[in-house]
Amino acid sequence: MNWRNVFHRTAADRELQNEIETHIAEATDYYVSQGMPLDAAQRLARLRFGNPRAHREQVNDMHRLPFFDILGRDLRIAVRRLRQAPGFSAAVILTLALAVGATSAVFSLADRLLLAPLPVPQPDRLMVVGYQRVTPSGEFVVPAVDGAMFAAVRDRARTIDTAAANLGTRGVNFVLDRTPSFVQNQLVGDGFFRVIGVTPHIGREFEPAETESGGPAVAILSFRFWQRVFQGRRDALGQTILLRGEPYTVVGVMPDTLKGFLDADVWTPLQPPGQGLNYEAVARLKDNVTADQANAELATLGNEPFRMLRPPAEGVTRSLTLLPLHDVTSANARDPIVMLGWAVSAVLLIACVNIAALLLARGGSRTKEIATRMALGSGRAAVIRQLMIESFVLAIVGGTLGVIIGYGALEALKSLGGTTFSDWQRVTLNARTVAVTLGLSALTSLVFGLLPAWQTSRIDVNQALAAGGSRAIAGGSRHLARRLLVIAEVALGVVMLVAAGLLLRQFASLQRLDPGFSPARLYTVSASLQDTRYRDAANVQRLFTDSLERLNRTPGIESAAISQRLPYERLLNMAFAIEGRAIVNERVPIASVSYVTPSFFETFSIPIAAGRSVDARDTAAMPRVAVVNETFARIYFPNDTALGKRLIFGKTPVEITGVSRDVQQFGAGFFVTGMKRSPIATSPTIYFPAAQTDSDLFSWFAPVWTVRAASASAAAEAFARSINAADPLLPLESVRSMSEVVGASLATPRLMMTLVGALAAAALILAAIGIHGLITHVVSERTREFGIRLALGASAGRLVRDVAASGVALAAIGAAAGAALSFPATKLVEAFLTELTRRDTTTYAGVAVVLFAVAAVASVLPALRVVRLDPSRTLRQ
Amino acid sequence: MDLFRGTLDILILRTLLAGPAHGFAIAQSIARRSDGVLLVEEGSLYPALRRLEDRDQIAAAWGTTTNQRRARFYSLTPRGRRHLAAETSRWAELVAAIARVQETTP
Repeated sequence: MNWRNVFHRTAADRELQNEIETHIAEATDYYVSQGMPLDAAQRLARLRFGNPRAHREQVNDMHRLPFFDILGRDLRIAVRRLRQAPGFSAAVILTLALAVGATSAVFSLADRLLLAPLPVPQPDRLMVVGYQRVTPSGEFVVPAVDGAMFAAVRDRARTIDTAAANLGTRGVNFVLDRTPSFVQNQLVGDGFFRVIGVTPHIGREFEPAETESGGPAVAILSFRFWQRVFQGRRDALGQTILLRGEPYTVVGVMPDTLKGFLDADVWTPLQPPGQGLNYEAVARLKDNVTADQANAELATLGNEPFRMLRPPAEGVTRSLTLLPLHDVTSANARDPIVMLGWAVSAVLLIACVNIAALLLARGGSRTKEIATRMALGSGRAAVIRQLMIESFVLAIVGGTLGVIIGYGALEALKSLGGTTFSDWQRVTLNARTVAVTLGLSALTSLVFGLLPAWQTSRIDVNQALAAGGSRAIAGGSRHLARRLLVIAEVALGVVMLVAAGLLLRQFASLQRLDPGFSPARLYTVSASLQDTRYRDAANVQRLFTDSLERLNRTPGIESAAISQRLPYERLLNMAFAIEGRAIVNERVPIASVSYVTPSFFETFSIPIAAGRSVDARDTAAMPRVAVVNETFARIYFPNDTALGKRLIFGKTPVEITGVSRDVQQFGAGFFVTGMKRSPIATSPTIYFPAAQTDSDLFSWFAPVWTVRAASASAAAEAFARSINAADPLLPLESVRSMSEVVGASLATPRLMMTLVGALAAAALILAAIGIHGLITHVVSERTREFGIRLALGASAGRLVRDVAASGVALAAIGAAAGAALSFPATKLVEAFLTELTRRDTTTYAGVAVVLFAVAAVASVLPALRVVRLDPSRTLRQ
Repeated sequence: MDLFRGTLDILILRTLLAGPAHGFAIAQSIARRSDGVLLVEEGSLYPALRRLEDRDQIAAAWGTTTNQRRARFYSLTPRGRRHLAAETSRWAELVAAIARVQETTP
């Protein structure tokens, strides 16, 4: 092929034209020279040459790139065809866009949170040491260790490089230019950054001497905190910052890459870990060591790691085991994302079924057009190619629109995820996701486009043309495939609806729970006591008394109290012993705890069921007392009164002087027989008087001030004035109403309900499109038959009923199949259900009602076209 | 009479064996040498000429006819010469084979 001619076709064509003119002129001259008159010579020359245009075109055709030219022509035809059927095209494109959009949004989330590697070198070799217990009732692993376990692993395990860190971060006070603010502080041991594989941006990490108890006060800053405080100056090293009221010397700055993985602002040394499973031991496998080899070595440590624990019960074995760090960090996100992934897959499947049904119908109704084309000489391959290209155009348009919808959906997800899933804020639609979803959409429509293409290309041309059109043919077995697809679609839709219905009912019942207190007009604020001045419990007591006194004197404040935490929040847990009772079977009594000031029960309107509330008599000098809630009394003193019983904490006896009514708390974090397994439940709870509380309890959570006040602004003003008067350097967090606190605790169930609900709605719409499309098609195919029947006296109502009934019947079959499928499928949702079972009949009944309503509307609307038929016109057509 | 596919190509190459020629001259030569039996539309020469050009069997250059007109003159390339030789012997074999078939009377 002469490429010059391909690209310069017009120039080559002009050259050829000149050549042809020369030819005819030469021929004319020749015939004249043979003695012919000029006009006859010219005529003969042209006659002998033939049609110059035809010959030129033949030459031009040789110099085309046939593939691209044919593709271009096919594309033009495809676009024209699709525009001639706007309903069909819109249905397919919207179906694709909806499915691709939802898929790409959720895939991006899953990809970033579950699949994306940690921002450290060789992340797959980073592990966390887990404490594993195998008991007759099951196997339990926590990704946390105590001091003895950590020491044993660090000193004796040779296959791994290990360092310790405190679990999570806590807010501490940071003062810059006399302005206090909250910063997030994480305690890490020496070698922590070496183990995770991150080199400081400047400076160094902690040395062993700095993590000894009584070591120097040193700090490592995050990149952003360094920018904020020192504007990125390198002389920050060696300077001091004021954390919790104490000077810390800056020894290093971490690089920006840690963002999103370690979100602390400042790291300070973790002194040797002590008791309790409160520490994280990160471990990096040494070169050429497998996780199995390292686990085998941990098994040889024997009993040494468990020195700090009491001996295990009969039949319980304990061990240390390595867990991949990535699994541990993404554990919280796993359940919602796995469930969303399945829900989105179901929607995608429904979408595919819908597209298949639509393409099938279109292929069917184009029989005559295709037969005509084939009769005019179009090859089978050309027909298939044309249909495939139409599918491809749909896939591209739908896929592109889908990516746009995906962007929107991801933004919507992020704002829904809000602060509950703050990790989601980092997620963006990524290129891999877009490639996967675009590929998926192309594949879907090509595969399903092929089926009708293959079917229609087997047409017997003569038969199809002689059949005189399809309008006289009723029904036909070709609808069978479509009916099956619609049934499948409805069945999948039912599964989605059942899942969404269960989550909806779960959320509704959580919201209907009796809170146990009156949340109206309650406002709260908290402030961190992470400050040297409050290491002394007496100073804390002074702050509490002083600020409460001022609050109580403020007009408009009905009542004020301080507690460690609020109802609907997660409380601390503590193990204890009951005086005169032995511990059976390693079952240590455990309960949620909170300290409260005397006015706590009154401020929240929590009734005292028996005994007395905490009051001013309960000072540090007096014997220790506690109020327990009814759940506590029921679980630990089922046959007896709890009043007057003594609980032992370490060696300190505490007497129960009162029993309060239950209030709802967020997931207790432990389980004892008699409790309800639910994200929101009444756990056994012990309330200590704040005045009798040890100083180390104060450091766990920032205490919360609560008032019952006329308005939010009155409360905020009272908080600011009273607490600042008591301590001007105490930064306050923002004021929240108690209903906001309750709302926040329900954020996860609400989010899951909303997401799955939205996907179920999409599934329902898609199923409705499917039914609607089928009935529309049936009506248009049988127009002639209906015209005859109407002309013969059939009533339009009867015909509408007949047609619509077939849609409702398909929905009924689909619903039955879906209900059967739902039961195993909703096992995924089960993890989120606590207030009801997945057999919940109300949900199934509700789904049935919704589905029948939608199926009826989707069937009747297109069937109503029959009413508008004019028999005389229909018959003449 | 219809020309076998490819026959026209051979006739053109055969004509050019005598030396370069422009389109009308080639047409004239073919008509004369076949005694008018192989009459084709002269225009159909041009697709064939372009095809041979694309295959690099002939080359073209602008020149002037005896009547002082600008015309494209075609000449055989070495590749065209080789192709003609191969086709000629194949053609001879075919003709011989047909002749043998006709001699063998049943």
